[in-house]
Amino acid sequence: MNLILKKDDLNHQLNAWRQDYEVYAPQSLQNYTHFLPLQDGFELAFDVKAHNTRIPPKALFLPTSEALLKFTRFGGYEQIPSETSPRLIFGIRPCDAHAMTMLDTVFEQERYTDPHWQARRDATLLVGLGCHEPCQTGFCTTVGSGPFNHAGLDAILTDLGDIFLVETLTEKGEGLFSQLETATEEQSAQASVLQQAAAASMPIAFETEGLKEKLDQNFDNPYWEEISRSCLSCGVCTFLCPTCFCFDIVDEAQRGERVRNWDTCMFRTYSLEASGHNPRPSRVERTRQRLSHKYTYWVDQINQIGCTGCGRCVRYCPVGLDIRAMLRKAHQLPSEVAHV
Amino acid sequence: MSNEAHNPYLPIPMHVLHAYYESNDRSLKTLELSFDDPQDAREFFAAYNPGQFCLLSVIGKGESALGVASAAWEGDFVRFTIQKMGSVTTALHELKPGDPIGIRGPLGNGFPLEAWKGKNLVIIGGGCAFSTLYALTKHLHHPSNRGDYGKMTVIYGTRTSGLCMYKQDIAAWHQRDDMEVHQAIDVPEQDWLHHVGYVPDVVKEVKPSPVNSVAVVCGPPIMTKYTLPALVELGFTPETIFTSLEKRMKCGVGKCGRCNLGPKYICKDGPVFSLADLNDLPADL
Repeated sequence: MNLILKKDDLNHQLNAWRQDYEVYAPQSLQNYTHFLPLQDGFELAFDVKAHNTRIPPKALFLPTSEALLKFTRFGGYEQIPSETSPRLIFGIRPCDAHAMTMLDTVFEQERYTDPHWQARRDATLLVGLGCHEPCQTGFCTTVGSGPFNHAGLDAILTDLGDIFLVETLTEKGEGLFSQLETATEEQSAQASVLQQAAAASMPIAFETEGLKEKLDQNFDNPYWEEISRSCLSCGVCTFLCPTCFCFDIVDEAQRGERVRNWDTCMFRTYSLEASGHNPRPSRVERTRQRLSHKYTYWVDQINQIGCTGCGRCVRYCPVGLDIRAMLRKAHQLPSEVAHV
Repeated sequence: MSNEAHNPYLPIPMHVLHAYYESNDRSLKTLELSFDDPQDAREFFAAYNPGQFCLLSVIGKGESALGVASAAWEGDFVRFTIQKMGSVTTALHELKPGDPIGIRGPLGNGFPLEAWKGKNLVIIGGGCAFSTLYALTKHLHHPSNRGDYGKMTVIYGTRTSGLCMYKQDIAAWHQRDDMEVHQAIDVPEQDWLHHVGYVPDVVKEVKPSPVNSVAVVCGPPIMTKYTLPALVELGFTPETIFTSLEKRMKCGVGKCGRCNLGPKYICKDGPVFSLADLNDLPADL
């Protein structure tokens, strides 16, 4: 159902939600926007046009560091209860919400469900804000997402000047906006035009047709060395990626906890084995792992490219490496000649 | 584990039953662990299949992935043989009977024993990687399992005779008439009555028949690398050659990311793969 939320009423609405939920929204902090819980007298940071928070909202579900076990006396241990307090994330961009649905396929597998992830997911509503002026580094439409993609969202807002058009997408989402008046047909039509124009304004960053095959067939091509030459192995592209989920598990003896911390395939120690052998000893293999994971392994696993085109890896790479350029270049790779 | 089965990061509480050195250089130590709660034991053995592994926890030190070296019928304990390598395995070596320990598992797929029924088995191991093959052999020795399989041939190589694990059992295997055992060491030693040479060469010498057979290979990467082609040369098809892989692991349940081989996770989709599986995956080992 399409509803109308007046921008003048937004703060009132957010405060009303705060009665029942901890409400997270993008807020300015130290030159960047972050999803932070709203406090009294909050100020939202929507002035940055269609700009994602620096740290993707996956961090609210898979914290950068989180205790899995607490140690007790005499070598004992107990599990840490999962967080189940109700939360609402307001202003999440469609690329980030879409990424959450991909991460669900990792953390909510039938055989092994991650209790902490699932508890947080079950307790959290996602109210999205579509990107009517898409960002320059984003390429969501190229990889099967889009500036108004609905995946993972309970409701999505479209900015129509003085008002937001609200499309509720789930029952929970409908419950959040039950007080609002219904949108007129003109308003819905206006939003629809704007949504289509936003998607149409985004150029196709690279061709995805045949890309997986090119990457699969050129596992040992010098291409990987060429594209990784200026990489610093800093890991920013993975830490800030909304679909990256790798973590390390370590015992912090002094704190008495077993902790999981974000990890990255861009680090040498990530795959270093006890024997000293390392399957990915240099940036060449590590870059190959990162790109192949997104553009071929995810496709094998869930039939979707494991990238939603948020553009963070492009925007924040300290040496200006651009995954879009890397993938355009991949199309020049040779194709395996089919044996007759 | 019973009421917390949904948390895959929570170790099952156990304690050390026996701890003894397996090799004369004290680099290998075997731990036999017993469950604190009998319900955990029932659940473990209901799920366990030889070829699976567990994550052993020394609280305050960390976790280490190790293959199970015992068969379910041996008793209500789980055996692991541990090579001392880093801080966790050193802590494991220091454990004494009665000490607490946690394990997560059994993890991974294990050997496809159902599909192997009616086949001859060629079991080829090298070094401490023989532990899961020992579990397999023990499992097959049980009278209720032995009849389901044909001829058994075990080829087991170590660098020296002192590094050979499970010595008493293996000595007894030589006396059995339902299996063929070939032991090998890398360099000659006095009084050594078996093969001398590297495992791939011993395989070529023993020439196991590929007819109605499957071969399973576990060993250091260099041994596996040269043994697989030797088996192919003998006429084994990629579908009948199996190996167990290892990579650095943390979660053991397909979430932490690091043990992937293309789209497959060694912890969750392996560790046992056929050569046919591996031929379809990138060589990212």
